Amino acid sequence: MSECRVMAENMPLLLTESLDPVQRELTHQHIESCAACASEWEATKETWRILETLPTVEVPARVKQRFLAEISAASEVPANVVPFRRRSAARWLAEAAAVVIVGGSAFYAGYRATPNVGLKPTPAEVTAIQPSYSIAESRVLPAASISPNIEGRPDIQNVQFTDASPSSQQIGVSFDITSHVTVTGKPADKSMVRLLRYVLENEDKMSPSRSRAIDWVRATYSRVDNPDPEITEALATVLRNDEHQGVRIKAADTLQSMQSAMTGGTRDALVEALKNDPNPAVRVKAVEALAKLARSGAVLDPDMVDTLRKKAAQGDENVYVRVKAAEALSSIQPR
Amino acid sequence: MKPSIRILIAVAVLLPATQLLATTFLPSNRIVRQLAIEPAGSVWIDNPFGSIDVIGGEGTVITVTAQRSIVASDATALKEASDAVTISFEGDSKVRLIRTLMPALRNAHATVDYTIRVPKSVAVKIGSKSADHIRVSHITGSVTVNGFAGTVIMEDVIGASILNIVNGRVIYDYQQNPIAKAEVQAVNADIDVYVPASAKFNWVADTINGDILTTFPIRSPRFAGTIFRGQINGPGGPTINTATMMGRVLLLAKGSDPGKASSMRLNPPEHRPAPSDVMLTPGVKIQLPFHDGDWSFVASVAAIAVGEVRGNAHIQIGAGELELGAVFGQCNVTLMGGPLNLGDVTGLLSAHTGAGDILVRAARLGGEVSTDGGLLHVLYSGGPMTLHSGGGDIIVGQTSGAVDAQTTSGDITITADPRHRTLKVGARTMQGNVILNVSPRFGADIDATIVTSDPDANVMHIDFTGLTVRREQAGAKTRIHATGKINGGGERVELYAEEGDIHISAQTITPVRLANPRR
Repeated sequence: MSECRVMAENMPLLLTESLDPVQRELTHQHIESCAACASEWEATKETWRILETLPTVEVPARVKQRFLAEISAASEVPANVVPFRRRSAARWLAEAAAVVIVGGSAFYAGYRATPNVGLKPTPAEVTAIQPSYSIAESRVLPAASISPNIEGRPDIQNVQFTDASPSSQQIGVSFDITSHVTVTGKPADKSMVRLLRYVLENEDKMSPSRSRAIDWVRATYSRVDNPDPEITEALATVLRNDEHQGVRIKAADTLQSMQSAMTGGTRDALVEALKNDPNPAVRVKAVEALAKLARSGAVLDPDMVDTLRKKAAQGDENVYVRVKAAEALSSIQPR
Repeated sequence: MKPSIRILIAVAVLLPATQLLATTFLPSNRIVRQLAIEPAGSVWIDNPFGSIDVIGGEGTVITVTAQRSIVASDATALKEASDAVTISFEGDSKVRLIRTLMPALRNAHATVDYTIRVPKSVAVKIGSKSADHIRVSHITGSVTVNGFAGTVIMEDVIGASILNIVNGRVIYDYQQNPIAKAEVQAVNADIDVYVPASAKFNWVADTINGDILTTFPIRSPRFAGTIFRGQINGPGGPTINTATMMGRVLLLAKGSDPGKASSMRLNPPEHRPAPSDVMLTPGVKIQLPFHDGDWSFVASVAAIAVGEVRGNAHIQIGAGELELGAVFGQCNVTLMGGPLNLGDVTGLLSAHTGAGDILVRAARLGGEVSTDGGLLHVLYSGGPMTLHSGGGDIIVGQTSGAVDAQTTSGDITITADPRHRTLKVGARTMQGNVILNVSPRFGADIDATIVTSDPDANVMHIDFTGLTVRREQAGAKTRIHATGKINGGGERVELYAEEGDIHISAQTITPVRLANPRR
């Protein structure tokens, strides 16, 4: 819009051929590409043409004399008044300042008035009848072609998960960054694993919710023979840090189904949840996961065993948690 | 005998033999030491793997006999284990510590069995991880045993004792009337206590899963929760405390017939009924294809899987897992803790668990479902439902009746039956999202509220027009309030989400069709 305003101001100068060649060319290009300015240009030319056809009118003598008299009176300077002559430098500085102020104001006005098109991705929402829209550019990247290392902490939004191609066991993660990006690949691809880990640990804007995201991770990685331990570590972070109790329950439940990928940190997170989580269902899931681990013959470290013993004996703990802790202890072979 | 069976037996015999041949044995090493000890001294024994026998006698000398056995997969591992497993004798004549030093071994397993003769008046402390048995006999001093797995046998121990074991068994045999306090704590172990018939003491017993049995007549018996208290042969005397989580407690008068022991839990003394009485019934495991008629059932710890209950079901469980495939009547189930998995419930449903998830495939007449913490998932509700979670998501796959859902922290997702043009819905989460899926022609009076500290992140997503959305600041939080009628209005739909989004999504929904129950 501000560009059109500038063009409108240029049009009389264009008519009188007072514009420099660059400005003239730019003005012409704009007029050709802008319907509103083209119309305005036509109107200006028409007005100019009409002005040329108007007859010359002589000024009446009475009016002319009065006008000249007023001018000469205004130009007479009293004797006791000494006019200040502007120094040339000051004048130059004032002109420069005026240019800066006018230019700055014009830039500011233009900046404020210009819509922020394409710079900030608008979070798109998905429903069954409305497809996802993003006004940003969309790109699809194969996981194999991107580096597994994520530099810094990019702000990614509107994260969605898809089974891109169930037949080929491909999955997809899409998100908005400076453009809308969809990364596709196999669940075991390191880049995909790292991306999922980053998303699970850092992003809370998942569509439609974090709970569903964990469901998706569970559904995807329970099909994988040996899930990457980084996935379980990400779930452990969620279990430790997420304020949303439903999400923590699902994280603990999902860890239970990924015994083979559990690391020391993951086990510690389960023990911590069993000790301290205020939600009894999280403690239930944590103790069930540890019981399953014990049944599988895994070696539990002394801290785990101690926690299970304390839980089994803790009178004010939910009785199911106590029973499950006892069950876990019954499977442990001391080593 | 058939030839195939003979072959199988031969294979069964030969397989372990081949395993044995592949293993290297070190002939047992035997060590004998004698150490001086004062009669009022202490003897501490720390032996992670192996049996321990402590026998009290006269004198001022400890005689330690240790027998070491190592099983290794190869000669190198055998040598390493042989060098690593040692016995340390520490302390002085007041306190003697006998310790097995056993670092983690590669491809080898070692045990050290001890027989230790001590003056009977010394205090004995034993630490163990795994032992075939730990036996302490003829000791008048105090005894402490802390073990993980094994059988603990106390014979003629007169002094105060504390026994703590996780897996195994405890046998406490008093040769004379107890005069000192005994404290036995176990997790997965049965406890048997044999006491002279004339003994006078206070008995405390506790178990969640097992039974409490005795051949003694009990005076002033009473339960407080799962803890039983009673007096044996009148008031006074020491207290014998026997607690095991999953095992049973048996207190026998010497010379009595164990078969005549009566159950304190099955025949509880008169007391004011309490909700925790469910914990007095011993634990069970039940698997049935069906149960004809009404079924009423109570258990402390249970794992129940029943295909069909052809009548009303009334079930109370302390802790466990409950799975009912179908209930052809009313279903009233309460668990103090554990997951609930209910199939097709024809009558009114009332289900609660103290901790754990609840899955209901169909509640044809609706009802009430609640958990103190866990996920609630109702695939289909045919009538009005009240759902409450102390923390966890709530999902209603499809509902034909009014829904009132509340969770302390979690997402709520409700899908309305498309055959109904309008339904009353209430959904309230103190932390999470609310998602309401309806058909495009769904009509309702909407009152949706988001309270959030991040108004840029938490927003309303409403696929219908005609709602008025207002924003106002309330302290540090922003309140986003949408009201109005959709599709000309209808039943009231009240949605409330803190720190989350509200979605009212218009979708093409396929209605659920339930099969008629087979009776």
